[in-house]
Parts: sequence; structure tokens; C-alpha cells
Amino acid sequence: MTAPQVQVQAPLLQLNGITKVLKGQEEPRTILSGVDLTVHPGQSVAILGRSGSGKSTLLSLIGLFDRADEGQYFLHGNDITRVPERRAAALRSAEFGFVFQRFFLLKHLTAAQNVAMALVNGQGWSARRKRKQQVMEALEQVGIAHLAKSKPSRLSGGEQQRVAIARALVRQPRVILADEPTGALDTETGNLVVEVLLNTTRQGCGLVLVTHDHDHARKMGRVLELRDGRFN
Amino acid sequence: MFSGKLRSALVIGGQGIRARKLRTFLSMVSLFLGVLAVVTVQAGAAIAERAMLTDVELQAGKDGTIMGYIPGEKGAPGIVESTLKGRADAVAMISSQAIIGEPGVRPINEGGMPFEYAGKGGNYYGPEMYCDSSGVCQEQKKPEKKPDGQAIEVSMVALTGDIRPFKPYRPISGSWLDFTTAPALAPRIVLNEEAAKGLTRYRIPGEMMIEGATHHVTPQIVGVVEDGSGSPRIYMRLDELRTWMPSAPANTDANRFRGGTQLEVYLQPDSGDLQQLLKAKLVGAGIDQNQLHFQTVNSKERMESQLKIMRLIFLGMAFLVLLIGVAGILNVGLATVGERVEEFALRRAVGMSRMLLAGIVLAETLLTGLLTAALAIGAGAAGLQVALMMFGHRFPSLQGTVFPWEAGMAGVIAGLIAGVLGGLIPAIRAARIPIATVMRA
Repeated sequence: MTAPQVQVQAPLLQLNGITKVLKGQEEPRTILSGVDLTVHPGQSVAILGRSGSGKSTLLSLIGLFDRADEGQYFLHGNDITRVPERRAAALRSAEFGFVFQRFFLLKHLTAAQNVAMALVNGQGWSARRKRKQQVMEALEQVGIAHLAKSKPSRLSGGEQQRVAIARALVRQPRVILADEPTGALDTETGNLVVEVLLNTTRQGCGLVLVTHDHDHARKMGRVLELRDGRFN
Repeated sequence: MFSGKLRSALVIGGQGIRARKLRTFLSMVSLFLGVLAVVTVQAGAAIAERAMLTDVELQAGKDGTIMGYIPGEKGAPGIVESTLKGRADAVAMISSQAIIGEPGVRPINEGGMPFEYAGKGGNYYGPEMYCDSSGVCQEQKKPEKKPDGQAIEVSMVALTGDIRPFKPYRPISGSWLDFTTAPALAPRIVLNEEAAKGLTRYRIPGEMMIEGATHHVTPQIVGVVEDGSGSPRIYMRLDELRTWMPSAPANTDANRFRGGTQLEVYLQPDSGDLQQLLKAKLVGAGIDQNQLHFQTVNSKERMESQLKIMRLIFLGMAFLVLLIGVAGILNVGLATVGERVEEFALRRAVGMSRMLLAGIVLAETLLTGLLTAALAIGAGAAGLQVALMMFGHRFPSLQGTVFPWEAGMAGVIAGLIAGVLGGLIPAIRAARIPIATVMRA
């Protein structure tokens, strides 16, 4: 009798013993201490923790905004711990989609232009027609294609956040990194946004959600809690 | 055609400028004045140089022309005339004196002086001496004093061809001498402004006495030109003069005291063979080679050294004004970076490299600088046209002046320099924005 074959999918990203120390103060402060994390394609992970526990720092390390002081970081099995800035920018463009609590929409641009911003970043160039098509697809994915020509000031908080999610999705990233995306929204709108984010995982995208909201966290495949720079 | 990076920089730079129109306009105001100052100084210097050069060219000849001085003796005028006959690349001028008006009277401006000084300075001239080439001097007999009358004395310049390719005389009225027709019996003459002034001011009979001529002649005045000379002068065809003066004017003891017959030759820069031929013929006729002087006119070089200091001083002042413009654009640029921290952090978060981000900020100031430069150049060119329309008639040397391309080029360079200087520090700051800190929840 042969053992049943288990197909082990390679991790999307893997952090081993990540440590981050905040310097430049009177006493260096350890924000993250030997954190391990693995995310597979289609997997959603919620990271809970109190303010200052290192959730956002961890997310900025995963998104290559910052560098770890110790540990290793693998993306698709490739060690990218010490990747140079130019390569990091290219990876941010190709692999990650970011959603932030404060939306960060540019007020002088329309919803479509805000989404297109992720396509006009110097990492390759596509024709205007193709860009428009990609933007409209992303807006449709989050259900606000009809608001493409609206400026952020004319949109509600939930709509603005959905524009931000469309901006994160437009390049079809492998991982969505969301830093308290519902923090500025009411419960109902927050639930809607979380649903939109969860939908992306059904298409094979990994999702790392940093949140204070336990209800939202419970909707994720895995829930981790950061305390004093370590996962409990 | 353009790379993705450049296209992205231009698209985002354009969006940035459109989004901050008032701010862009404010940074353009001070820069506009700076670039306009540079353009004005450069244009002013180029126009002044051109005007000065044009005035100098009237007397000395165009730059690069080979000018020869030949003594008017031993048949030199005839040799020169026959050698240059029918040639367009060389012209000879033979100068002598002539009196227009009543015969046998003392001219109003005796000696051919400007009319401003006519009749001034008393009657005592002192003994006149003539020294020959060996240094032997003798006193010249005083000519008999003639009664005052209605006549003017002028320098008479006989030409073998059209001198204007070498000396760009400016037409005032009438026409210039026509060298294509058969010589006329009544010589056609062109007056310079001072000679025209004499004829206008005094009632002068239309009769002309030429030194060494066989008869008095009745000239036909065909035009008036500005030749840069303050003394009265007339121009005529040498072949028409020949009708009245079968032998070419030669130096006599009398006219030596007035400088003698002047023979000047103007040759195109590339006519070295002709120069050699002329020298050989003149030396063969017995003229001492050391008395033949040929030189290239280089008025521009001489003037440039004079203008250089003036231009440097004004350019220094213009660059100070430009620096104020740069400070303005820098100030606005730094303030804008402060305001756009989140935008820049976001752009980096979505995959833009530091270099490209810096490039975008620089592209915005460069576009602003170039746009401002274009406006300043346009304003400078329009201003020049208006000034020429209003005051051009007072300065004949400025007629036909166009906006010098050097000024346009200087404006573009000033705009680019201002764009780079004003945008560099904001660009570096923008590139150094830490994403993690800005994007934190």
C-alpha cells in the first residue's frame, strides 16, 4: 500500500528569525525579535497585536520598505534579504499590492488615474489603451468601475478604500499587504472591504492583514498575534 | 521612442505641474525675470555688437576683406583700373577733391571740412610744409585767397565697381551707382549725408570742378547714402570720371598737402592670386614694394575685446537676477516636496525607484524652467520688435535687426540651469523619503 501523495506547495514568502532594532534613539529598541512567518499562495494571515507591538514594522519588512537587521527573507524560495534598492522597487511593483489605513489617494487625480499610478512607475510601459483596460478591470473587481472618473473628494471612505485596493490589485500581485485597511471605516464598510480583500485569495493571491479587529481577523485562514516583537 | 522611465517621468511631471498651477506660476515669475535679464543682456550685446560693427564696416570695410593702400603715382591708378576691370571680387577707390558750385570762389567749407565747422577757426593757417620721402622739406606757396562764394568742397571717390559688398553703405534716398550701363557724359554722383546737407543748406549751382579735370562738369545726383563719414563726400564711377580726366589723377605738389590721391583696393578674402598679380604689376611699374600695404580687416575681433568686459559685467548682473529666480524655484520646490511627502512615499511603495522619483521632481522643475525660458525669449523677441517699431527710425544701424539666436540659446540654457539648480535639492530630498515611516498607519 502506498502512502497518499500530498502536494506540498512552495511558500510564497518565508521569514526566518527576522529581527528589527530601532536605532537612532538613546537606547536601541528591539521591535521584532526572531519572527518566523510563512505564507502560501491563496493563504490569508491576520496579524493582531497592540499598538507598538511591531505589526506595521513587520509589514514594511515584508513589503521591502525597510530591511531586517537579522534573519532571512525568501520570496518564491529566493533569498531577498539583502536585495538592492532598485531590485526591491521592481519586486514591490511586480509582487506586492499595498493597502493602507489612510487610503493615500492623490486628490488631484481621478479614481482611475489613482489606480493607473501603480502602472506608471517606471517598471515597464504599456500603451494607454491597455492601461485603461487594466484599470477598469481592477475597478470592476472591487465593484466601483462606475466611479472611475470621480475624484477622491467625491467618494465615501469605503469607496476610497476600494480605489486603494484596486490600485493594489491592478498589477495582479502575488501578495496583498494590508495595514489596518478598515481602521478608518465603519463596521459595515469595513466588512465589505475585508470581503473584497478575501476575494483576492480565492484567485491564488496571498494576503497579510494587520488589524486590531478580531472579527476581521477571524475571517482569515490563520491568525497570529504579535507581542513584544514575537508571535505568540 | 522613449523608455518607460522617461515616459513615466514626463506623465507624472506634467500631472504635478497641472495639479499645482498657482505654485508653478509663482515659481515662474521670479525665474521669468532672471531668464529675461539674461536674454536681454545677450540680445543687447549681440545687437550692440552688430550696430557697432555695421558702423565700423561703413568706414573700414567688412570683416575679412583684404584692403590695400597703393600710392597714386607712376601710373598706379591706371594699372589698378585695368587689372580690376570687370571683376566682382575686387574694387578700387580713387579719392580726390572736388568743388561743387560757383567756379573761382572760396568754398564754404574750404578743405572739405564738415559744415558744422565751416567758417570757424579764423584765417591763419601758418606756413605749409611739404617733406618728400628723403626728408627734404620745403615751404609751400600759399594759394591766392579767393573771394567767398556759393560752393562746397567735397572728397570725390571714383569707383571701379560696386563697393557695397565691401562697405555696406546704407541707402537714404534715390539709388546707388549703376555699373552695368554705359558711362554717361554727365557723371552720376551719389552724395553722403554731409554732402547732401551742404547742398540742402546752401544754394549751390550744379557745376563741379574736379582736381586735374579738363573741364567743369555738370553732375547728375542719383542718390544719398550713409557712409559713416562726417565730411562731405561724393561717389562716382571711375569710367565716367575718365571722360573729363583722360589721365588718372596723379599726385601733384598741390594735392600732396591734402594727402595726395588716395588709392584703396578692396579684395574678397579668397583673392590671394589677384593680390599677387596686382603687386607684381605695380612693382613692375617702378613702385616700391614697401609702399604697398595690404591688410585684412578684422574689426569684429578688435571690437569684441572692447565689448567683452561690458558684456561680462552685464551678464554678471543678469546671473544675479537669475539666481534670485533659482532661489524662488528652489523655495517652491522644497515646500512642494514637504507637501508631497505622502505622494512620493506612495509612488515608491508601488514600485518607483529612488532615481526615477528624483528624476520626476527634476523633470518638473526642468519643464518649468524651459517653459519660463520660452516665455522670456518670446517676451524678449516681442519687446525688441516693439522697440524697433518705436525707436528704429532713430538708429539706422538697427534697421533690419532680428532677434539674435544667441540670446534665445542663452535663455534656454539659463532656463535649464535654473531648472537643474532649483530642482536638484528637492529631488534629492524626495528620493530620501522613508516609505516605512510615512506609510505607517
